Amino acid sequence: MSDATKKPAAAPGLATTLASIVNGCFGDYLSQRDNGLAIDMAFYVHNCALSLTPDALCEAVPEPTGKLCVLVHGLCCHEGAWDYPGKPARSYGSALHDDLGYTPFFLRYNTGLPIPYNGAALDALLEKLLAVYPLPVEEVILIGHSMGGLVLRGACHFGAERGAAWVSKVSRVFYIGTPHEGAALEQLGHLVNSVLHAVPNPITHLLGDVASQRSQGIKDLRHGTVLDGAAGIAAVPWLAGAQHYMIAGTVTDDPGHLAARLFGDGLVQPPQAGENVRLFPGIAHMELAHSEDVYDQIRTWCASA
Amino acid sequence: MQPETLRHLRGAKDLLEEAIEAAAVSIGDAQMQMTRQPYRLLAQIQPIAAPVRAIEEAHLRITDGVYYSIRLGNRLFGMVAGYALDRIEGVARRQ
Repeated sequence: MSDATKKPAAAPGLATTLASIVNGCFGDYLSQRDNGLAIDMAFYVHNCALSLTPDALCEAVPEPTGKLCVLVHGLCCHEGAWDYPGKPARSYGSALHDDLGYTPFFLRYNTGLPIPYNGAALDALLEKLLAVYPLPVEEVILIGHSMGGLVLRGACHFGAERGAAWVSKVSRVFYIGTPHEGAALEQLGHLVNSVLHAVPNPITHLLGDVASQRSQGIKDLRHGTVLDGAAGIAAVPWLAGAQHYMIAGTVTDDPGHLAARLFGDGLVQPPQAGENVRLFPGIAHMELAHSEDVYDQIRTWCASA
Repeated sequence: MQPETLRHLRGAKDLLEEAIEAAAVSIGDAQMQMTRQPYRLLAQIQPIAAPVRAIEEAHLRITDGVYYSIRLGNRLFGMVAGYALDRIEGVARRQ
């Protein structure tokens, strides 16, 4: 793959968006078949994969800092999900760089692969990044949107389990619209699928078979599965030594509204209220990845001791 | 054309081909099952059982033929598209 610096700045286009959607829906199949559409996990700069070599990194990050920020997108998305609409150069990553001096790294990955697989792959990638980074790393913050938050939890778990050096640098983890307790939409999808298979009719069986083809990544969202073989997320402890923050939205301005209570941010239910939990009424699931209000909260938390 | 674009095009072609193949097999199986149901009922009426079985056989063969031709056309399309992509890749490499 080419280095980020060999091409002029470019945002992910329609082809990348379509490929990301196909990866989200059938990514495990694509990977199994070695299909050319399958996305390999990498950090992306200007729509190009970043080679994790000292030279490539120096070229792609001309002014590195000792504070890193890793952003992980959600299902069927790519790193463009972080871009502010109408302001493609601005994202939480670029804003944190400008305001607090964090060097952002945007991950792109095959969201259709099992979440535990992506978590383990991110653990290995972060280790490689820190090994070739031109400066000593003082701090790493992690920001995950939707499924990205689960991938981060997985990466932290696998990294902590094997004593990876990067894990000790993680100070804060932000989970934005992350379905820690499972996504209601996939739970509904699983129920519908079971009903379609239970009805003794060839058409419903056929529709059930089609629905069953959805990726393992989507299926893992049912319980928010982070580990292989784990029934739920409860088995995964939160990374010790890091602060964990949860950000959620609702589809209506009134969080007590029936629609907000039923549908949460449209895809994910908000978590229980708590010290490091912030709810943004009226901000829907996708909007959570590029909202000025959400960024202000992240910056405030990052700036706090 | 960029190698990345060609890789994506080849991947999209493969995926489309595999999806049509799988859909033709699955839909064909479902239609066969549905086709057999009324014939199964009619075949229980003894005076017409023999012609019903003959018509059912012809119906199933025609249905099978239709889905087979879809799959065959799909494979031909895949071969032609693959050949075209090979040529484009060859030209791109020479450039």
